[in-house]
Amino acid sequence: MLKSIKGLVAGAVSTLLLAGVAHADITVYTAGPQSLIDKLAEGFTAETGVKVNVFQATTGKVMARIEAEAANPVVDVLISASWDTATDFAKRGWLVPYASPNAEKVPAFLKNDTAVAQGVSALGIAWNTKSGTPKPAEWSDLTKPEFKDLVNIPDPAQSGSSFELTAALAGQDDYRLFKDLKANGAVIAGANAEALNPVLQGAKAAVFGAVDYITFGNKAKGESIDVIFPQSGTVIAPRPVMILNWSKNQDEAKKFVDYILSDAGQALVAKTFLMPARSDVPADRPLIADLKLLNYDAAAVQGKRKEILQQVFDIFGAN
Amino acid sequence: MNAKDIGGVAPAAWFALGGLVVVVAVPFVAILCQAIFPEIGTGSFAKPFSLMGTTLADARLLRMTGNTVLLGTCVVIASSLLAIPLGVARALYRVPLAPVWDVLLLVPFMIPPYIATLGWIMTLQPRGYLEQLFGFNLASVLFSLLGMTLVMTFNTFPVVYFAVSRTVEAVGARYADVGRVFGATPARAFRRITLPLSAPGLAASLLLVFAAAIEEYGTPAALGRRAGFDVLVTGIDTRVGDWPIDLPGAATLSLLLVALSLAAFLLQRWILARRSYQTVNGKPQNADKRPLGYLKLPVLALFGAIAFLSTGVPMLAILATALSRTISGGLSPGNLTLDNFAAVFGNSAGALGALANSLTLGVATALLTGLIGIVSAYVVVKTRMRGRALIDIMTVLPNALPGIVVAVGLILAWNMPGLPFTPYNTGFILLLAYCCILVPHTARYATAAFVQIGDNLEAAARVFGATGAVAFRRILIPLVFPSLASAMLLVFALASRELVASVVVAPVGMQTIATFIWRQFEQGSVGLGMAMAFVTIFLTTLLPLLFLSLLRRSSLIRE
Repeated sequence: MLKSIKGLVAGAVSTLLLAGVAHADITVYTAGPQSLIDKLAEGFTAETGVKVNVFQATTGKVMARIEAEAANPVVDVLISASWDTATDFAKRGWLVPYASPNAEKVPAFLKNDTAVAQGVSALGIAWNTKSGTPKPAEWSDLTKPEFKDLVNIPDPAQSGSSFELTAALAGQDDYRLFKDLKANGAVIAGANAEALNPVLQGAKAAVFGAVDYITFGNKAKGESIDVIFPQSGTVIAPRPVMILNWSKNQDEAKKFVDYILSDAGQALVAKTFLMPARSDVPADRPLIADLKLLNYDAAAVQGKRKEILQQVFDIFGAN
Repeated sequence: MNAKDIGGVAPAAWFALGGLVVVVAVPFVAILCQAIFPEIGTGSFAKPFSLMGTTLADARLLRMTGNTVLLGTCVVIASSLLAIPLGVARALYRVPLAPVWDVLLLVPFMIPPYIATLGWIMTLQPRGYLEQLFGFNLASVLFSLLGMTLVMTFNTFPVVYFAVSRTVEAVGARYADVGRVFGATPARAFRRITLPLSAPGLAASLLLVFAAAIEEYGTPAALGRRAGFDVLVTGIDTRVGDWPIDLPGAATLSLLLVALSLAAFLLQRWILARRSYQTVNGKPQNADKRPLGYLKLPVLALFGAIAFLSTGVPMLAILATALSRTISGGLSPGNLTLDNFAAVFGNSAGALGALANSLTLGVATALLTGLIGIVSAYVVVKTRMRGRALIDIMTVLPNALPGIVVAVGLILAWNMPGLPFTPYNTGFILLLAYCCILVPHTARYATAAFVQIGDNLEAAARVFGATGAVAFRRILIPLVFPSLASAMLLVFALASRELVASVVVAPVGMQTIATFIWRQFEQGSVGLGMAMAFVTIFLTTLLPLLFLSLLRRSSLIRE
């Protein structure tokens, strides 16, 4: 008995310690899918022998951790789900300029001096094919009586891309569409996953502005769900990769960025149903060229973030 | 009332103080600094108080605070209504199948609240499991204050149930019998004698329920937002989780939450300080319980109904989801699969590592908080040390600190440049976080237990030549151990499923059960997440039970 307790304690202590013994390779914070970063890290280590320590959470939680760590930061490479963070961090002077040789085939709007997209997600209508509702083709279809009380909207305060879609569409018709949605019983329902879940079970028929790659993943698993990209246009969310200027392993960090943008890395990105950043890598889903993008002034929209969110919440009476 | 200050206390007091400073004071001070100095994260003390004003002037703050208190109060009332009758029946009467009910009412502890809430949503929403089985849904009830109160009550009322059944049992029927001899009716004897004497345990558990309710994030976020019911914790999470991050604002709101919970604590102290509750005084207890008589069937029905609602429904929903190939496939034989469980045991996405990490951390947290809790409770209740009020307050401070804020405080404190060593980015930072969040549980239960023990027992031991340490070890510890053990089991369960702090503070590359489940949900693998949840609930229920039965066999504690 005593022996087994001793063994247990020894095991516990070693587990706790092991987590901290980072062999000072590179540390990556990512808001992307865990399965993607696991495979990228594995492939990178196999190719270069450099170990990758990963912390994965939502964009907000990753940023909270970086802010709290600001006095003594440890992250080398950051992969965010929102391009704003790249803009903001560049403004703070926290980023290292780097142009990866593999980034040549990345379109100009998906890269700048200090950041390059890993992949791109888009927003669409996630629609339950067994919901008994007619297949929607346009955002405005969700204001029709067939969708009464059956539409979820991801909270624009909790999802960067949802905010951009809201701002872009609201700018076109001064919130008319959102007032119609509200009148049709649509509700704001938490972050992306929380909004999608009721649609899978059938409590709701559609998500207005669902993140496409999660929905494609569910479809691949056999869920009766589909993604529709309206002809009138949608928004995309490029996921920037950045190297932090306090990194002590900048050479390895740069190699990791190269790997993400390599043929192998981009194939892994495509496998998670994200659009690869490189235009010459194929994927089993509609690509940026197939989508019509809404035209709006991203910088101006971000500047009015508070007002826009307030307007939306006034309409939906939540928060 | 005084066998005080006879040596042997000082080391204990220093231990309690030291432990509490590391576990509680360090992160708390860091949060305080963050609220006052907005740029503390970069090591600067510039612009003190510059952001506090804007946060406190927010027009929504009053409504959020009001909603928080309202929700906490509703859950406390509902929990007492549910738990007190059950607890008293369990303590004073021979309830058939009593051990079975204890286990069934233990399970809700082990169900992470966000999982239980998701289970309820998937059961009650339109086309949910209820509608698939019986053709109707209760969505309108679920997404309301009533729904939130019920879901949270089913999750927390066992705290009250176990506290009431243990303390009433300790009080026993003897005092009430004296009342009966002097002509009181059974109802009157219960109301005037048994219930007041059980007050310390009851009040302590209600305080924990209140604190848990105002600190809980998952349920108000999932159910309340849709009902337009926002509370302080959802406000804090918005500030921490949404770009742009507002750590000072989150810290300020957390201090408000702590103030609420301190107010509840002071109220509890004031109620308890007015009289003596000593009932354990060395006289032999008549442990016999009474038969229920004609109440047998109604009581059994009550136990069955509440066990079904608090344990049965969420567990069935979790299991149904875990066994489904697809969510949209619903409850049909063709949709049945064991793939999700196979994935958990096949260590998909590091499931087994996450299990091992969390169970280890759970055991370590239970041991550490148990030790700190019992020593500080002893110092607070049984000595006249100066500064013991400070110890008492430190054991209650983290009560309402939201996990996410504890995490931020820990990072601020332990990631300062120039520290000779730091637990940050090792598993120990999670241990610190869990101890901070959970030490109020063991401390509260141990305090309540010490309050009930007469000083004459310790004094008698000392008269017969025992040193202070021996009296503590041989007399006091065995007497408070049943209470402490149940608190430690609770801590084990809570620590092994803690989510909010773990998500932010987990060292790179380390998963816990909760972060694993949360990631599966985020990525749309609800079934895999639920399978992991089911395995976890099963393990965290089974392990403590095995442990308890081992202890019982070695007669360290008796039922």
